[in-house]
Amino acid sequence: MRLRVVAAVLLLGCVGRTDSGPSNDLLVVGYDREPDTMNRYATHILEDIQSCVIEGLVTTDERMNVVPVLAATVPTVANGGVVMRPDGGMDVTWKLRPGVKWHDGRPHTSADVKFTADAILKGDWKPESTDGFDRISSVDTPDSLTAVVHYKEPYAPYQLQFLRGTLPKHVLDGRDIDKANDYNRSPLGTGPYRVVEWQTGEYVLLERVPHYWRGDEYPKIKRLLFRFVTNATTRINQLKAGEVHLVALVPWDKVREIKTLPNVRLNQVLGNGYEHVTLNERHFPPFADVRVRRALAHAIDRNLIIRTILDSLVSSVNGPIQPMSWAYEPNVATYPFSPDSANRLLDEAGWRRGPDGTRAKDGKPLAFTLITQAGFTIRENVAQAIQRQLADVGVKMQVRLLDGTAISPVWFSGDFDAMLHWWQSGADPEITTFFAADKSPPAGRNIDYIKDAELTKLLYASDRAIDQAKRADLLKQAQRRVAELIPEIFLYNTSKLDAVPATLRNFKGNPTNAGPFWNVHEWELQPAR
Amino acid sequence: MFVIRRVAQIIPLLIVVSLLVFGLIHAAPGGPLSLYLDNPNVRPQDIERLRRQMGLDQSLVAQYVSWATAFARGEWGFSYADGRPVAARILERVPATLQLIGISTLLAVVVSLVVGVASAVRRGVDRAATIATVAGISLPVFWFGLVLQLLFANTLHWLPSSGRASFAGGGLGDRVAHLVLPVIVLAAAHAAGWSRYLRSSMRGALEQPFIAAARARGVSDARLATRHALRNALLPFATVVLLDASIMASGAVVTESVFAWPGVGSLFTEALAKRDYTVLMAFLMCGSAAVALLSLVADVAVHALDPRTREVASL
Repeated sequence: MRLRVVAAVLLLGCVGRTDSGPSNDLLVVGYDREPDTMNRYATHILEDIQSCVIEGLVTTDERMNVVPVLAATVPTVANGGVVMRPDGGMDVTWKLRPGVKWHDGRPHTSADVKFTADAILKGDWKPESTDGFDRISSVDTPDSLTAVVHYKEPYAPYQLQFLRGTLPKHVLDGRDIDKANDYNRSPLGTGPYRVVEWQTGEYVLLERVPHYWRGDEYPKIKRLLFRFVTNATTRINQLKAGEVHLVALVPWDKVREIKTLPNVRLNQVLGNGYEHVTLNERHFPPFADVRVRRALAHAIDRNLIIRTILDSLVSSVNGPIQPMSWAYEPNVATYPFSPDSANRLLDEAGWRRGPDGTRAKDGKPLAFTLITQAGFTIRENVAQAIQRQLADVGVKMQVRLLDGTAISPVWFSGDFDAMLHWWQSGADPEITTFFAADKSPPAGRNIDYIKDAELTKLLYASDRAIDQAKRADLLKQAQRRVAELIPEIFLYNTSKLDAVPATLRNFKGNPTNAGPFWNVHEWELQPAR
Repeated sequence: MFVIRRVAQIIPLLIVVSLLVFGLIHAAPGGPLSLYLDNPNVRPQDIERLRRQMGLDQSLVAQYVSWATAFARGEWGFSYADGRPVAARILERVPATLQLIGISTLLAVVVSLVVGVASAVRRGVDRAATIATVAGISLPVFWFGLVLQLLFANTLHWLPSSGRASFAGGGLGDRVAHLVLPVIVLAAAHAAGWSRYLRSSMRGALEQPFIAAARARGVSDARLATRHALRNALLPFATVVLLDASIMASGAVVTESVFAWPGVGSLFTEALAKRDYTVLMAFLMCGSAAVALLSLVADVAVHALDPRTREVASL
């Protein structure tokens, strides 16, 4: 015992807390996972650290607008950047921003754009996604600042084709990109920061590059330190203790703890994702009756769930496309909370209450199992609330919790009745993969197994509409159709909450997985009073 | 002879373990690519392509054979997650874990020696120690770690909450400060268990006739406890400590995750969540080999410490 006391005294004597507050010299980010690679094309979901180093031809801002970065302008039909060819293909002309240099001083040119498309098409390494690239037949480079991308067929999300940036030809040409660890661990970029140190398991340190192309005054913050803290509670504890200054994507159930911190501000933006209950009509045939689906939607009191479990941090939604998207349609069928309507619809559909209160038809009870992710506290609570509310209208729902890695193969195989989960999408409003009749796994993610000819036709037409106004019109019709069919029960938008220093200026957040660091060059800490 | 025979037994054991572990890891639902499914921007066709590129489309037997032959040659393969060599990924994490386990073991041994002996000899100490040790054994590591963080880092601001060092680099003091909480958490359960163990073997030893004889010769109580009883109780204690070192390693997995300690344990947690098969296999094989070797060391140590076991072992 005496030893312990002595040790404690000794320790306290030599410990001076060295943590300083956030400053324009150093901003410390508490980050939930360590990236696997810094190569943006090979990475999975995470792009926050990468996007400080590697810039896309465009990025998407806090309202999901497409903003040019390495491109001088965003090509559209109107500005002549997109031309539909008579053979059914299309040509997209990217004009690059002049004067942009890689961090090694070499100019960023159209050859890098061509190299990127060619490398992904070649298929001798493992890019995460080849979406869109597989529709490119070739890329021409008439001059060093012009790249013409030839598509075999119309591809509506073409503006985001190079969101993840370009690969430097002079570094990667002729190499096995999977094994190019010099690049994958410390990539050559054009962005405001470069990687100076990656201490595995601990942190990545980024440092400002001199002569950033936006001007020598950018970026304002000299060094960014991303500390990897996987455990959410530990991460929040570090924020409270001042050991980290910024935590992106604060879990909703941690907000109460952070709200009271004087040096921390919570930045909230809508997320481009929606929490919902997928109703798998192939696995549980009663869901194939639209009256049953509508009844379930009426039976769930979303506002109560949002007010109580979610502390009103999120807002309810009525469809798969989120309010900040240019393709959003607000005027759709809705299913306000009404047990009476739910009961009436279920009665109409022939589901009668039995002696135990559970409805049944032809001797089969209206009972199903909802799967959701274990350890996600909010989801577990929401699942319980839904269970209770459905019981009130005579529907029996069991909840089964599965861990994050185990749940994916279950839903992909279609072996479940219902699932509480979300989709988090990029800025493009494509929803074909969720609702087109032929997009059930393995072709896509239609796990409602909804097959509606009208909806499918609208969705495929929207994918081929290059003109944004025309595409928006088709997608709006599709949203109205989805709301009528209600193949899944829409709950709420997945708000993104980032905890940032109260003195940080120009932090804007981001609804998509591209992350809030898209405008990191502008961030600045106000000097202490 | 004894040592060689024991080492020879380890090899077939490891082969059986590798088969079991390989089967279990692949039986667990999900795979290295299942997290990709949740991202709507990665099309299923891309996931299928990646599966082929990673060789995950081959039969389990083929995958095992290619893994096992490479592993036997000392090639541990590449991580499914980041494509880097598995050996490098594990080795770079070893120092942090050894540091944590080493210091925790040391602290636990010292504490359990003091507490164990004191509670065997003094009734008053025994009561307090019983309460403390029961608490130590039953506290969940996860919860205990978070409570210490809340108290010492967030409320009192005495110690850093987690991590291995401050970025600004406070030198030795800073590194030591970062060690305090994880070491206490990891050491607590073991110190508790070991001190109970030592207490009962001390009690047993103190009841032996030779103690009564020594007391009759006028040997002081303190000398009786430390010189006579403790020497006898130390042998089983050392065996338990050595065997428990492997359990300490599994405790480190949780402790490292709670304290964001950049060791092998947090790598394991990460690899498990990502179903990074090659990293998991290498980790579990090293773990099994370490357990086998530690029990060998324990046997040899007992062999060396206690002459009575020698004849039996060499038969």
